[in-house]
Amino acid sequence: MQIFISFILAIISSMLIDNVVLSRFYGICPFLGVSRKVNSSLGMGVAVVFVIILATVICWPLYNFVLVPAGIQFMDTVAYILVIASLVQLVGLFIKKYSPSLYKSLGIYLPLITTNCAVLGVAQSNTDQGLSFLSSLANGIGTSIGFLLIIVAFSCIRVRLESANTPKALKGLPIALFTAAIMAIAFMGLQGLFSGIQL
Amino acid sequence: MSREKGYTKKNFLKGLFIENPLFVSILGTCPALATTKSVEAAIGMGILFTVVLICSNILVSLLRKIISEEIRTPAYIVIIATFVTIVKMATNAFLPELYSTLGVFISLIVVNCIVLGRAEAYASKNNVFDSLIDALGMGLGYTLALIAMAFFRELLGTGAFSFGKIFTFIPAFKLQIIPKGYEISMFQNPAGAFIVFAIILGVIAFIKNRKDELKLNKAKQERIRKEQEAKLAAAKETGGNQ
Amino acid sequence: MSKVAYLIIAISILVVLLVTFIVSFVIYRRTPVPKGCEDLQMSEEKCSTCGHNECHFYQGKDKE
Repeated sequence: MQIFISFILAIISSMLIDNVVLSRFYGICPFLGVSRKVNSSLGMGVAVVFVIILATVICWPLYNFVLVPAGIQFMDTVAYILVIASLVQLVGLFIKKYSPSLYKSLGIYLPLITTNCAVLGVAQSNTDQGLSFLSSLANGIGTSIGFLLIIVAFSCIRVRLESANTPKALKGLPIALFTAAIMAIAFMGLQGLFSGIQL
Repeated sequence: MSREKGYTKKNFLKGLFIENPLFVSILGTCPALATTKSVEAAIGMGILFTVVLICSNILVSLLRKIISEEIRTPAYIVIIATFVTIVKMATNAFLPELYSTLGVFISLIVVNCIVLGRAEAYASKNNVFDSLIDALGMGLGYTLALIAMAFFRELLGTGAFSFGKIFTFIPAFKLQIIPKGYEISMFQNPAGAFIVFAIILGVIAFIKNRKDELKLNKAKQERIRKEQEAKLAAAKETGGNQ
Repeated sequence: MSKVAYLIIAISILVVLLVTFIVSFVIYRRTPVPKGCEDLQMSEEKCSTCGHNECHFYQGKDKE
């Protein structure tokens, strides 16, 4: 029970308090690029959730049971990027072959995930901090759901911004970045959410 | 070889201004927001990034006839990841403070769109020397952009520029510009990073709009002048006939 | 097991990963696009973040 509670708390903490985009700055590229429409951001977010969780599950054992015993920990970045890239290709292949309907909604986002900082960032920081398997899994789940949450919320705001009367110089990206700044301030308010809870 | 004169200079300068990877192409935004808390960290990040970009561009350009079209992207990713690993280990050995400040963002150079984009768009089609110049220009442009962001964030956020904390080989000193108690610490936070980036992009867009407007006005005036001249000429002609 | 054996296993796993990546990449590119998805594009004409027109991730790949 104790483990379960701390697992859930770890998920929420990496989802809201230490949000990927707004406080750790992973995955800004898709956050700004694929967030003009709610549908496309939802597709991107779901694909990222799937890949991050799979990558976390594979990369942790790869590091701790293969690279560490062999004494080649320094190869971690190469190993992770290979895992992530082949994962993305395999998932893409599967979807392309067997599920045209899923391909229609996710297909164009899959190649983008390889170059999404969030996937490699989570895998790398998990092993850099020496987290246990459960904590890394919680970090992966929390981070990816946090990304989904933020990118969808942001795209909802951006749809409204398109029709707003903004100064000409701020149209497009600058005003979106100001919005992101306000969101970041709002999320800063969640710090200390767990300060009263004993783990 | 037929190439226009001054190509090398143009090739170098395009990365600095016209095609600046951060402010014009909006690439590599993650480290730009995360590692610009201090000017020193920004310089460190820029140098590491430039080194990786130069190495990968040179190798990709050398191997451009060997790597087949089919497996280009996987090959480039492996090349870039290898150089990032080398740079990471070197940083850990020689500049441990820089390594611990930048943390995971050194590894994240692998997935930086600029490196892969330059390899695919430029180095895979051009010779070694041009690729090297291109990498130098792009790397320097990115570094300058990072320094510009860090300049405002550190100045407004802490009110001072402190050096010597990360590059320990220079003596540590602090340059207090805004008196203590008057700094806006928000600029050290994530929100400040977004705001600084937004303002810089807005200013660039403003200058661009202004230039376009001026150009448009000039063209308009030119057209009006020509029309008037034509009218005058026509009037003269008809006058002469009568 | 000795360290050398671990090293050999680790390197072979890395090589296997690399081969998986390359093979899946090639197969992915050669797999025909399913019916009805021939002209999928990013909802924006060009990805506004990666303003790189020539970037292969954004263009051309799925149009083939």
